[in-house]
Amino acid sequence: MELLAVDAAPNPWFDPSYVTSNWDTIMGHLGEHVRLTVGAVVLGSLLALPLAVLARRSRWLAGPVLGLSTLVYTIPSLAMFAFVAPITGLTTTTVLIGLVLYSLVVLVRNFLAGLQAVPADVREAARGMGYGSGRLFWQVELPLAVPAFMAGLRIATVSTVALVTVGVIVGHGGLGQLITGGFNANFYRAPIVTGALGCVLLALLADLLLAGAERLLTPWTRRAAT
Amino acid sequence: MRTRIRYIVPLALVALTTAACGESGSSGTGGGADTTQASGNACAPVPGDQLVVLEDDQGLQNADNLIPAVNAAAAEANPALVPALDAVSEALTLEALGNLNVAVDVERQSPEDAAAAWVEENVDTGGLEQGSGEIVVGGGNFSEPTILANIYADVLEAAGFSATVQPTGNRELYLPALQRGEIQVHPEYLATVTEFLEGDEATQVASSDVDETVAALTPLAEEAGLVFGEPSDAANQNAFAVTREFADDLGVTTLSELADACGDGSLVLGGPGECPTRPFCQPGLEDTYGLDFAGFQEFDAGGPLTKAAIQQGEVSIGLVFTTDGSVAQ
Repeated sequence: MELLAVDAAPNPWFDPSYVTSNWDTIMGHLGEHVRLTVGAVVLGSLLALPLAVLARRSRWLAGPVLGLSTLVYTIPSLAMFAFVAPITGLTTTTVLIGLVLYSLVVLVRNFLAGLQAVPADVREAARGMGYGSGRLFWQVELPLAVPAFMAGLRIATVSTVALVTVGVIVGHGGLGQLITGGFNANFYRAPIVTGALGCVLLALLADLLLAGAERLLTPWTRRAAT
Repeated sequence: MRTRIRYIVPLALVALTTAACGESGSSGTGGGADTTQASGNACAPVPGDQLVVLEDDQGLQNADNLIPAVNAAAAEANPALVPALDAVSEALTLEALGNLNVAVDVERQSPEDAAAAWVEENVDTGGLEQGSGEIVVGGGNFSEPTILANIYADVLEAAGFSATVQPTGNRELYLPALQRGEIQVHPEYLATVTEFLEGDEATQVASSDVDETVAALTPLAEEAGLVFGEPSDAANQNAFAVTREFADDLGVTTLSELADACGDGSLVLGGPGECPTRPFCQPGLEDTYGLDFAGFQEFDAGGPLTKAAIQQGEVSIGLVFTTDGSVAQ
């Protein structure tokens, strides 16, 4: 008969020595987490913008575009990565594809809402001043839609920071590696807390940066307020 | 976020239910073994801090010895690759693996440090055949394969290769990656990988015999584009643990004795979600030992949730592993 010893080494939730002695590992995972988040939101935005423009063009197209992006969002994230993995392997690309697809539901809706919120009289006035459709879009509609765009970007970024952790199933989960690693190493609390806190701080920081960017991009909203 | 919820919800449930169960369970044992036997409740969970493993006296568990799995093309291109991994298998005993797991899971060393220290002491890297080139070693996402992957990488470095460790996940995902050559080496468990490659759940080709299982694995591996090194003496097998109080109340030390004592169907089993369908978990216990379970509760694979569930009287018996870092050898 074997005995299971239960007198484990101290296993505190907060352990600064864990962070200092594993600094390089943590920074490696954090770097991956940031790269995946930024990559997913940037690629997601680049895809969402044309989709939103397409959806605005006709109500007939809006239904399928919004419906499809919502449908993709309902696929469980674990299943999504498992579906993509046989094609792209155990790479960050696998995680990135999943994250981009998930970001679309938020981004397309917000981009579309932003474009639809541009007042018709503003558009009329611009046309009257001789703006072509290209100039109208880039110089009038897009700037006016920035607040809604940024709101979408902020939600997508925060949710992507959280979703990256699911990438552990292909070995590229950013800080999620620390969280599952801790669970799978006899419930080692220090990495679990480090990974979880890291995610929360990263999400807060990203949200703060985007809020700052929004302020810089929309000086007129503040001028109007004062 | 979703993975965290997966863990946190059962964890919270364990915490909640045990607050209540600790009370009722301990008052139950206070009544003594005689009364519980008569009530048809003989094998209900009994909480307790100390866990004991019941002996697998009829050899239910397969030869899950650690064995290096290698991409066939990589092995062919680098003749020094498999011999270097075999040097690890030769030095790796169950005791050594248990100690390594203790070092990481209990003493909280990093897998890299524990692996490096062990290689330094136990593998004669000077005598290794030299190779070159880049090798990616997959490491799973559990301590044990991560330690093994680091050991493989250290030894491969000593043999002239440039080796890196890449975390992976489930066998369903990493084995195809190994076959495609995305990774070149992955630590494997002999019987489990044999059955996985064999594919058909109805037929059993792996057994408790190491040599027979290797013989069954070789053609399957060839077909899959894989090569396996020598198996080590260290086997990570399923084991079934109960609390010391539970074992003492019933006077059982083996799974056969448990089956004799628990004919009334009051035994509750805890383990990973796949336990009720895997032959070396619930179906094996039922067929080989004639155990009769009142129910099954899903926790993790031999991890903290399962062990906490046994200790706190959630389940009577739960799945643990022979190479568990907290198993005193």
